[in-house]
Amino acid sequence: MQAQFKKAGKQPSGSSAAALTDGRTRTQREELLGWALVLPSVAIILALILYPVLYNIYLSFFQVNLSGASRFVGFLNHREVLGDREFWSALLTTVMYVVFSTIGATLLGLGVALVMNEKFPLRGLVRSLILLPYVAPVISVVFSWQFFFDPVNGIFMDIFYDKLGWFSQRINLIGSPATAVWVAIIFSIWKNFPFAYLMILSRLQAIDQNLYEAAEIDGAAGRHKFLYITLPEVYFVVNAIILLRVIWNFNKFEEVYLLTSNVKVLSVYTYLKAFTGAMDLGQGATLAVLQFILLIGFILFYVKRVIKW
Amino acid sequence: MVTGKRPLRKIGFTLLVLAIVLFCIFPFLQMLSLSLKYQWDWGNPSLIPSRLNFDAYKELLNIGQSLKNVPESIINLLDESPDLTPAQRSAILAKYQDTGDVFPFLKYFGNSLVLSLTAALFSVILAVFGAYSFSRLRYRGRAVIQRGVLMVYMFGGILLLIPLYKVFVSIGLLSTPTGTFIGLLVIYMVQTLPVSLYMLGNYFRTIPFSIEEAAMIEGASRFGTIWRIIIPLSISAIATVYIYSFMIAWNEYLFASVFLKSYKDLYTLPIGLKTLFVSKNAIWDRIMAASMLTALPVMALFMTIQKNLTGGMAAGGVKE
Repeated sequence: MQAQFKKAGKQPSGSSAAALTDGRTRTQREELLGWALVLPSVAIILALILYPVLYNIYLSFFQVNLSGASRFVGFLNHREVLGDREFWSALLTTVMYVVFSTIGATLLGLGVALVMNEKFPLRGLVRSLILLPYVAPVISVVFSWQFFFDPVNGIFMDIFYDKLGWFSQRINLIGSPATAVWVAIIFSIWKNFPFAYLMILSRLQAIDQNLYEAAEIDGAAGRHKFLYITLPEVYFVVNAIILLRVIWNFNKFEEVYLLTSNVKVLSVYTYLKAFTGAMDLGQGATLAVLQFILLIGFILFYVKRVIKW
Repeated sequence: MVTGKRPLRKIGFTLLVLAIVLFCIFPFLQMLSLSLKYQWDWGNPSLIPSRLNFDAYKELLNIGQSLKNVPESIINLLDESPDLTPAQRSAILAKYQDTGDVFPFLKYFGNSLVLSLTAALFSVILAVFGAYSFSRLRYRGRAVIQRGVLMVYMFGGILLLIPLYKVFVSIGLLSTPTGTFIGLLVIYMVQTLPVSLYMLGNYFRTIPFSIEEAAMIEGASRFGTIWRIIIPLSISAIATVYIYSFMIAWNEYLFASVFLKSYKDLYTLPIGLKTLFVSKNAIWDRIMAASMLTALPVMALFMTIQKNLTGGMAAGGVKE
């Protein structure tokens, strides 16, 4: 640290002297510099995130033609999408996927965080192993999961058909939409519970231990300590996790599409509509807008009614 | 809760921990095991291969593959005709080697590496200045920008993909390989920028302003203090953000699959693997070996920043 001061001190100090004489106050200079430093980031975010979102809304009113001029069609795309049974079935699949994967990941994260909050040998190693599902690239873990459920060689069928006899034959669980959605949910829980675990664990570690001691003196059992101290303390972070998980899981594409082609959640349905077959970008844009509106609606509801901010 | 007093409870607790660990790492163990098994061993539910088979790794890493597809007779022929020039020899061999059957893993690996390293670098450079501005300077509009950056949490990839694709096609960016590469680079950069800004901003606020003040009294400019004080003091946070950005770019599939559709030479690992899986070469050992090699860099990097992540610095500052 000392060395850094010295180095900084040796810098030619022309800039501050010049700035004092150019007639601007310190606040004004700070304001200018603040904007100058943040401007590149803001410009790029505006150009590549905000503008596309608005342009997407614009596109949803057009019959988009990639090589020529697009044709304005008003609300035709919206009417077509809303009248499409596949859209409603995709929406239903999405809701099911989001509800179960969010609840599963949050509950499992809570449970694992409670376990990891105890002291035991090798805890450091165990804690980092738990995070592996979350950081591993989706593409590198989907194949292992596919193999796990593979009807011929997979271990799942080996256990539940050969050893336990729960199935009457070897079934390809990823192969049919009805069962594949559950595989996708289990995969999502496995992949994402470490996020909930990490957030809850850091909250647990911040709880004042005196609370527990006081409760013990008053004769509280472990169950009561959990109900009246731990749960209220993690209540806020759990709500935040649920909100984030719903947002993320609702928008999930890769974790579903790369695992199985049989689960058409909204993102996958939109992708297939816009980039395969007839490449209907206009309808794709409409679907993306509808999905976004649904999400905003949910966020507003959740924040106002459940978290009560 | 767990004390030595009740041994039964202790055993139960240990089993619980083991079950959690197994649940987390089983897919990785299976991946490793299958990548080392022979085909006749796949149906064997044991994770330990009956006999080790390194062929998949050798093939992907291009070790000892040069003469694999060349028929015996051609090799003999070449041996018996010493008057051929080296150029002619390699031309003959090339005919047999390039059967399109080989999965160019190393090329895809290289593409992914260049793209991710560069995108993360730009993202971090922009974020250092932006985050400094957030956390240190006071100006009108700062709160709006800060909150606006967090809005990005709500935008899924698909919402941005369609308009960006349309724009990039319209301006002709996707008609050349270079343009496509740059387009993807910029997208990866902007995807991680908001989170980088947020994480670094939070970190910079923990550095006492008095240190900077002292340097400025001694005549250092703002840029001087950023370069000589802020960056050295937060180098571990910057490294964390860099690695985080790298990982996001490394794992990305959605944009790459649409943009790179017609440029096979630019494929990144995620599309490469997906293509390999649906192709006729879909053989479990190769798929698993490729999965292992794709996961390894990310896992290794993650282990290096793990302390910072679990320390809570990144808590709340991640986006999927």
